[in-house]
Amino acid sequence: MADEAAVDSPLDVEQQEAARVIASTSGGDADSQAFREAVRPLPSDAVKDLLSAGVCRRCIIRLFGITEPVCSTPWLSPSIFTELTEMLENSDGNLIDGQSSESEHLTNLAEPVICSMCLGILQFYHDNNGQLSVSKDGLNDLAASIAELVKQQGHQIDSFSLEVSVPSITLDNERVIMSYMNRKYGSQLFSQERSFSECICLKNALKSLITAPLEMLLGVKYGQGPLHIRLTYSESSKTIEKSVEREFDSTSKRRKTGNENGLETVELLNSGVGCITTGVGRTVVTDTSLNGLQHHQSSDFSKLLLEKVRRPCSFSFHCNRDPIYFGGRYLKFSRNVSQTCWMIDEERMGEASVEEIISSCILLMCRGDKYKFHAAGREDIDVRMLGSGRPFLVEIQNPRHIPSDVLVKDIEEKINSSRDKLVRVKNLKLVGSQGWTLMREGEAEKQKEYAALVWISRPLEDPDMLSISSVRDMCILQRTPIRVLHRRSPLDREKIIHWLAHT
Amino acid sequence: MLQVPMTDESAQASSMCTDSAAAQNGGSPTELKEVREVSGEDENKELRELLLPDVRNLPLAPPSAVEVNFVAYFAPDFMKPGHDHYVYRHPNGLCVVGLAPTHVAFRDEGGVTGVDFNVGKSDRSAIKVTGKRKKNAQHFESNTMLCKVCTKSDSYVVRCCVKGSLLEVNERLIKQPNLLNSSADREGYIAIIMPRPADWLKVKATLLGLEEYKRLKEQG
Repeated sequence: MADEAAVDSPLDVEQQEAARVIASTSGGDADSQAFREAVRPLPSDAVKDLLSAGVCRRCIIRLFGITEPVCSTPWLSPSIFTELTEMLENSDGNLIDGQSSESEHLTNLAEPVICSMCLGILQFYHDNNGQLSVSKDGLNDLAASIAELVKQQGHQIDSFSLEVSVPSITLDNERVIMSYMNRKYGSQLFSQERSFSECICLKNALKSLITAPLEMLLGVKYGQGPLHIRLTYSESSKTIEKSVEREFDSTSKRRKTGNENGLETVELLNSGVGCITTGVGRTVVTDTSLNGLQHHQSSDFSKLLLEKVRRPCSFSFHCNRDPIYFGGRYLKFSRNVSQTCWMIDEERMGEASVEEIISSCILLMCRGDKYKFHAAGREDIDVRMLGSGRPFLVEIQNPRHIPSDVLVKDIEEKINSSRDKLVRVKNLKLVGSQGWTLMREGEAEKQKEYAALVWISRPLEDPDMLSISSVRDMCILQRTPIRVLHRRSPLDREKIIHWLAHT
Repeated sequence: MLQVPMTDESAQASSMCTDSAAAQNGGSPTELKEVREVSGEDENKELRELLLPDVRNLPLAPPSAVEVNFVAYFAPDFMKPGHDHYVYRHPNGLCVVGLAPTHVAFRDEGGVTGVDFNVGKSDRSAIKVTGKRKKNAQHFESNTMLCKVCTKSDSYVVRCCVKGSLLEVNERLIKQPNLLNSSADREGYIAIIMPRPADWLKVKATLLGLEEYKRLKEQG
């Protein structure tokens, strides 16, 4: 695929495709060979029917579940689409009529028609502020815009994943068309040992279409992440109203047919395609409701054909990277710094917070969206944290830049050398999932060391020193301090003083 | 009392002990050099410096925990002349109630000799309050009786002073009534009450602050 360069003009693409078709007709790829084999026996009248119903060519292909012998390769090459359409058209010259103007193959379209099944999603037609946005090479344009976003955000990744969200009406469309086709052409296909149940779902179809161009443009493989690219298609509200209105006669009735698996199915008379909302949450189009429509099927299907005004979906895409985690230990030297940002009535308590001091610095370096600060335990605002420090974890969400070890040391330096000397960080480093186990361990470790300054009414003597240092694992009962009594149970809790030492 | 800092035990436990051992031996840190790497030693030195304040900067006696953590209010002559109560309120809303130093009970010879929580309709020391929601706590008015305080010659009724839920009474007073004589404002507290915010605001208006109370009592 010569798609690394930007696609200049539609004509060029068509020429390239045509060239490729000619080249591969002589039996090039084993894959395209197998594909052609799979496509050949397709009933042309079924395909014609679908085309005239306004189903786009990619939806036709996926209805027949064509990737079966060839995984996802047929999706990658636009030439194969062209080939298929050519084949179908050539097998029955009648296709090249007014009706075939609905096929994407012809570039001179007065007005592009939105697929009745996928609502333009697989055609890459989008709703652009009320205007229909169409491009000749929608697939690659989309891939290019996504790649542009990723580049512009400056993400550093070695793999990406795709998440697609499509309006539920496309699922309904799929089922209606499939059941219609099964009824009309079912016996024909059965003799060929195939059925419409192999239909590839819309999401998977879209994903397999967009994966290869994206891999090419981004230079990384498709996988589990860490970058998640989310494509969201939602129907413009007008779509529902129009189709339901058209589909329902003025005399249409809704009748509850009782419970099935706890869901209430509403039998719709005179209905074809539409969203059935029962108020139970999920939209269910079950076979029972469709059976009742049998005698209406053909008229509804033709209604589908007549329904030329279909709104394209509104579309947006975002990319988000998995969060990264930094672990370390902090010391707190100030008695006026809280651990987390503490506000009462919009006013900050204390002069700063450990959370903000550490996390904001890291967030800046990683160019992330947000941070979350987690610590293994906490201490009061007026208590210092000394010694080896308290373990903490900083989670950076959607980081654009993963710092190197050297940069991480720089961050630590920067925090420690601030003029205020309120907080110090030790052993800052990037941690993976083991960071959480460290935190849990830190919290579970209940032994703590305290230092207190004591005023004594008389000078200490040797026997005093001895009685202090000879304490070993002294058990005491601690009553709930008044300080926390308002939110904790009044209980006596056992504590152990392991040792005492004086300086 | 100075607030307590907290150190993580892992690296420091031994160092604290050995530090003190060194101190006891009149010590220089030289004995510790073999035990620790140089960087560790610097850290400990810094820790000691942080922990040990300059004695010259310290007050002769530190402010008490009560002074530091509570705001003191007083209810003089509560329902009866001479029955001076204190209400120490914590920022979290809880109120500790007890006998103010000018209470008449302290004037009796021998001071307080006994405390009895079995007053009114129930024994206040028998109530068990459980859980974060403070179930079973009894709701009392400000004039509800908390306990009776006895001296050699007389007995006096102590009241809540604050409308709210009774969380706890100081049952130690039963066995050790002398706590009232020695430290009525600390270990000798009478009870802990949890008022609703609205109720607190109402009663606060009737109470005196520390300065006002002092001035009042100096006159009498």
